[in-house]
Amino acid sequence: MTGLRVLLVDDEVEFLEPTAERLKRRQVECTAVTNGEAALAELARTPFDCAIIDVKMPGMDGLTLLRSVRHDHPRVAVILLTGHASVELGVQGMELGAFEYLMKPVDIDELLDTVRRAAAQKKRA
Amino acid sequence: MAELSPNPYLRLRRQMFFALLAFGLIPLFAMGLAGFVANRESVETRTRNVIEAMTKNRRATVELFLEETLRQLDLMVHALPIAELSKTSTLANLRDEARRERGAIVDLGLLDDHGKHVAYVGPHDLGNVDYSDQPWFLQVMLRGRYESDVFLGFRQFPHMVMAVKKRELDRDWILRATVDTDLLSALVREGGLESGADVFILNRDGEYQTRYSPEHRLMEKADLGPIPPHSGTRVVELARNGRREFVATTWLRNDEWVLVARQQVPGFPVLLFAHSAVLVVFLFGLFLVPALSYLIARHRLRQVRGLEDERAALYESVAQSQKMAAIGRMAASIAHEINNPLAVIHAQVGVLDDMLTDDASHPSTAAFKERIKKIEAQVDRGRKVTHRLLGFSRRVGPDLESVDVAAALDETIGFLEKETEAEQIQIVRDYDRAAPIIRCNLSQMQQVFLNLVNNAVDAVGQKGELRLAVACAESGVEVTIADNGPGIKPEDMKRVFEPFFSTKTNTPSHSGLGLSICQEIMRNLGGRIAVESAPGVGTTFRLWFPLAGDPGQENHGRSGHKEGEA
Repeated sequence: MTGLRVLLVDDEVEFLEPTAERLKRRQVECTAVTNGEAALAELARTPFDCAIIDVKMPGMDGLTLLRSVRHDHPRVAVILLTGHASVELGVQGMELGAFEYLMKPVDIDELLDTVRRAAAQKKRA
Repeated sequence: MAELSPNPYLRLRRQMFFALLAFGLIPLFAMGLAGFVANRESVETRTRNVIEAMTKNRRATVELFLEETLRQLDLMVHALPIAELSKTSTLANLRDEARRERGAIVDLGLLDDHGKHVAYVGPHDLGNVDYSDQPWFLQVMLRGRYESDVFLGFRQFPHMVMAVKKRELDRDWILRATVDTDLLSALVREGGLESGADVFILNRDGEYQTRYSPEHRLMEKADLGPIPPHSGTRVVELARNGRREFVATTWLRNDEWVLVARQQVPGFPVLLFAHSAVLVVFLFGLFLVPALSYLIARHRLRQVRGLEDERAALYESVAQSQKMAAIGRMAASIAHEINNPLAVIHAQVGVLDDMLTDDASHPSTAAFKERIKKIEAQVDRGRKVTHRLLGFSRRVGPDLESVDVAAALDETIGFLEKETEAEQIQIVRDYDRAAPIIRCNLSQMQQVFLNLVNNAVDAVGQKGELRLAVACAESGVEVTIADNGPGIKPEDMKRVFEPFFSTKTNTPSHSGLGLSICQEIMRNLGGRIAVESAPGVGTTFRLWFPLAGDPGQENHGRSGHKEGEA
């Protein structure tokens, strides 16, 4: 285990499960949830190094969740994921304090690398 | 299209023509009417004055004639003694002499105080007629002179009797003359008359005393009704046979006779055109107003038509933009729908890959891994397509920033470094470092570069060559992206900017949207895009960016489109 604890939030279960599995296989302690409310509940229960959030979700969307995380759990780094190749949303997310913005489909090594950098930066902070 | 068919135009022109005609003719006729009224007044006043003057003048003439005739008789009777006057030969001489002068005296007779002829010269045998009980005889005996009314007498020609008394040898003698009144008629009419005018003399009973036209039958009553005696000259307006006329009257011979002059009031056309200036203006207007109405209507309609055409062109261009926007929205939704399954496939295949990595004991592991790599490659291709589609749909407002075009181009090439290196494509740069910094939307500009360079890389294939140039251009910067690929077939040149047009049928990753996106963006940026291509030699795209981006200038885009088709 790298000791990295990651919360993965995506409404698309078919994407969520394999991605979580792949991260776990790479020694990342990964908790997968399908909506913003569940994510906030998990964050309240367990300390995480990083949250990977899908921007487009029904109910509470990624940017709203991002705001809540930034507000309630400032030590948790946020990486935004989306199929929406909109630079604007990415820029908006970055302005709101996201660490990085990745587009789906995302390469697992790139994701892992981003998670590590995010966690490292948070530790330094 | 919103363009009107020719019929409504014609109808519009007709309506405009008649409206203008009405507006032109109404004042014209108003002017004509005003002229008519003014003319009527002046013409009537003039007519009235003329007839009044004429009446006075004729009255003087008639009175002079009667006076003179009477004086002639007076002269005769007093110049000679009765003994001389009693001779028929003397009377004949006197009559002939008088006739030579005026021609009015028809016969002459000398009567004694018993009313018996002493001598007589004339066309009739009146020698034994006894006048003693005749009213005129009594009158002349009483007053010394006498003038009768006009009568036809025995010979059926108008004449009147004049008589003068003389006292000699202690007796009264009377010289009597018959006066031919046709001469009087001629005198009254002397000098001629205007058309519609008439002059005559009536006696107290309203009977004609003169004749010169068939209408005047001597001694018959005129159609004027009783005319009460009055002094001086009087002019009245009467209606006769549906025509208005002025009638001037003046009494003469101690109110025995009345001189009448009548003149018809001039009718409408005469009144309207009494002044030639009014007539000229009126006729001129009558031709000018319809001509001008026609010309103005035609001119205005042409303007309307021009505006209509402009509007239609604008509508067309807006429709084109809307079509592009709709395609963009559709592309975006398709991209989203496809991108999510791609992400799922990618993640699931990733898990498979991990599982194979964990359990390398299986004999086919290597083969599975190879297949997985191929699936991932295809997913990646799909990803690129969806991302490009999403880029097309991105309708970012024109945020203008200062852009170094060469730097922007280089940055874009950077995205494609992997591909160009893998394909060993040589990139030749020819950047004019003096090219100005322009105001433009950087991300949109880069999207155009990316599309074009991507196309070029695909076109040249392995060991191809790309030539990139940035140069100063008229009020802007020109970017040239040229490749030495196979070029575009002439028959395809017209369609390269159409959405979903693609010649790369063997490479399904191409949506066929790339160039239409570029054109759309260039249009939004107020720039131009043009393409030249020669099969076997290569394709060159020329881009022109204005110094200061003007997103509202559709025209640049349109002209760019035309250049693209050339």
